Amino acid sequence: MNNIPIEKIAKATPDSVARHIRGLSDRSIAWIFVAPTIFLLLAINIFPLIWTVWLSFTNSRVNRPNRAVEWVGLRNYERILTDSDIWHTMQATAHFLIWTIVLQVLIGFMLAFLINKKFRGNDLWTTIIVFPMMLSPAVVGNFWTFLYQPQIGLFNYVIAFFSGADSASFSMIGDVDLAPWAIIIADTWMWTPFVMLICLAGLRSIPNSIYEAAECDRASKWRQFWTITIPMVLPFLMLAVLFRGIENFKMFDLVVQLTGGGPGNTTTLTSIDLKREAFEKWRTGYSSAYAVILFVTVFGLASIYVKALNKVKER
Amino acid sequence: MNDFINGLFRLRRGPWEMVASVLIALGVIMLMQPVAITLYTYSFIITLTGTVMFIVVSHFPE
Amino acid sequence: MSFSVTEPNKGTKWFAGVLVVGYALITIAPLLWIIATGFKSPADSIAYPPKVVFEPSLEGYVNLFTERTRATPDMLEAQGEPKNWYEQIARDQGTVISGPSRYGERFLNSVIIGFGSTALCMILGTAAAYAFSRFRVPLKDDLLFFILSTRMMPPIAVAIPIFLMFRNLGLNDTHLGMILLYTGVNLSLSVWLLKGFIDEIPIEYEEAALIDGYTRFQAFYKVVLPQAATGIASTAIFCLIFAWNEYAFAVLLTSGTAQTAPPFIPTIIGVGGKDWPAVAAGATIFLVPVMVFTILLRKHLLRGITFGAVRK
Repeated sequence: MNNIPIEKIAKATPDSVARHIRGLSDRSIAWIFVAPTIFLLLAINIFPLIWTVWLSFTNSRVNRPNRAVEWVGLRNYERILTDSDIWHTMQATAHFLIWTIVLQVLIGFMLAFLINKKFRGNDLWTTIIVFPMMLSPAVVGNFWTFLYQPQIGLFNYVIAFFSGADSASFSMIGDVDLAPWAIIIADTWMWTPFVMLICLAGLRSIPNSIYEAAECDRASKWRQFWTITIPMVLPFLMLAVLFRGIENFKMFDLVVQLTGGGPGNTTTLTSIDLKREAFEKWRTGYSSAYAVILFVTVFGLASIYVKALNKVKER
Repeated sequence: MNDFINGLFRLRRGPWEMVASVLIALGVIMLMQPVAITLYTYSFIITLTGTVMFIVVSHFPE
Repeated sequence: MSFSVTEPNKGTKWFAGVLVVGYALITIAPLLWIIATGFKSPADSIAYPPKVVFEPSLEGYVNLFTERTRATPDMLEAQGEPKNWYEQIARDQGTVISGPSRYGERFLNSVIIGFGSTALCMILGTAAAYAFSRFRVPLKDDLLFFILSTRMMPPIAVAIPIFLMFRNLGLNDTHLGMILLYTGVNLSLSVWLLKGFIDEIPIEYEEAALIDGYTRFQAFYKVVLPQAATGIASTAIFCLIFAWNEYAFAVLLTSGTAQTAPPFIPTIIGVGGKDWPAVAAGATIFLVPVMVFTILLRKHLLRGITFGAVRK
């Protein structure tokens, strides 16, 4: 009798008895603990979401409260999805998205690979490199406009110093061709450390024994890199790419402060365009449909992201 | 490949999630490609299908 | 001496070190430039070529915290002797201080909203994370995914209905509204992160406590909470940094009383033209706390940015 572990007795005790001993049942505690969170998320996220979907089928304009709101069916969606201006906005977003990801993955992976060589003081330098990504994008964007000033800006000065051009001869923000690159450079500066940290985790998760085995088989360093390092880091890289993809698809704060969408519409990313429609032109119904399109896209990407997340978790 | 098709017929989660992911990715690419506006027009319906499908099939058994 | 084939040799280490340090110096340069510009005089800040060596000045900081009006030499004369050092600095620029600027207020708003939402978020988040970690919650995976997906949503898209909702409830431009909103946005991160931290605490501790006659609640706050203290602290810092940095909601939903610093800093202008040292001073005061927090967080950064998935 005395040999039975005490946990087993505890588990075998019927719930009704246990409740007297322990107070509330586990089930009700679980609900008490989860309910406030779910409630707040319903109020702050889900209710507004449903409202947006409803608005997207109407011609509502919140700046004209006296006008009757009419049901317009799918007309808003039809107009957005055939609008070539919005299509161009999507392309501007794609340009930003693709180049930031390419640059951040290349630089980030390279840095992680070098840091993983475990030279002295690598922790200190890693922390320093990480700083930009923790800062407020709006404040950073605002300050980059200073760095990008023709002539007096630090960025222009450094470029001019190395290229020999006149630092007053080009304006990163004012030029139609350069502005898309201005936002890419600032975003890359800010978010490369993010990709680097995740790659570093990937590199550190590879057990040394695999390399030792490869060394025994006399595989060259180059071969080891392509057959061990890259495949092992790939799931982590996927995670970083998806997350940066989602974040930059909805990019707003950094770019709106940096270029405000200009010159012309060259750096008008989807979020900036949506902000104009919703909060400057006050086309609430129309912009709600626009918002739903962005929602669904992000939601789809987020489901792939969570799948990738679980894959990495298993490691 | 055979496993994949088998999985589809037996309503397994893995292969169906793959199909849904591909649809979502396709929709996103269509949304942002610079080639044809027709592709852009139909991108949303593809993404929506993929996303709804993903939610449904993630409840299939492993 | 042990020899390992996987240990990089000295030359490689040295080479890697030089490259990484080089990158770190380039990446930190804009930040140092912000901090330095805050201590320049307006003339030095727009000098060509850019001045690396300059005479430090507190003009930027004085201009940041005060409203000034331009005054003619006669008017300055009539004002009498400046009462303190910052009035002296304003006088030297040919201006008279007419009152405090709104930066202090905006900064305080950031503090109130940041800490308020973090506190609320931690209370709700810890409870929910504990439940998800220890109990069989129906539809657990769906709920967790739903919680995470709320964070992924584009803020501008969410802002449309929130704006309407807040307007109807009278929450537009209030501290309470912003605290609730940021709590809603941050909950996903705190639940996911804390669930990871609580998952790591061996369940045996609680079982032992339950057998000792503790109730579930007692086991939760006497056993689990102390064990999860580090996790809770680092999650709190993450939530604080997010609320601190947030711009999109702040710029759309606040305009006066509850406006935080990020939408305010870019609007700082001086007497005639953009006052870059004042902007830089405002940015410095705003960014430096985050850098300090980053140093405190460095061991848990990876967890924070991957919602707890990568544990290293």
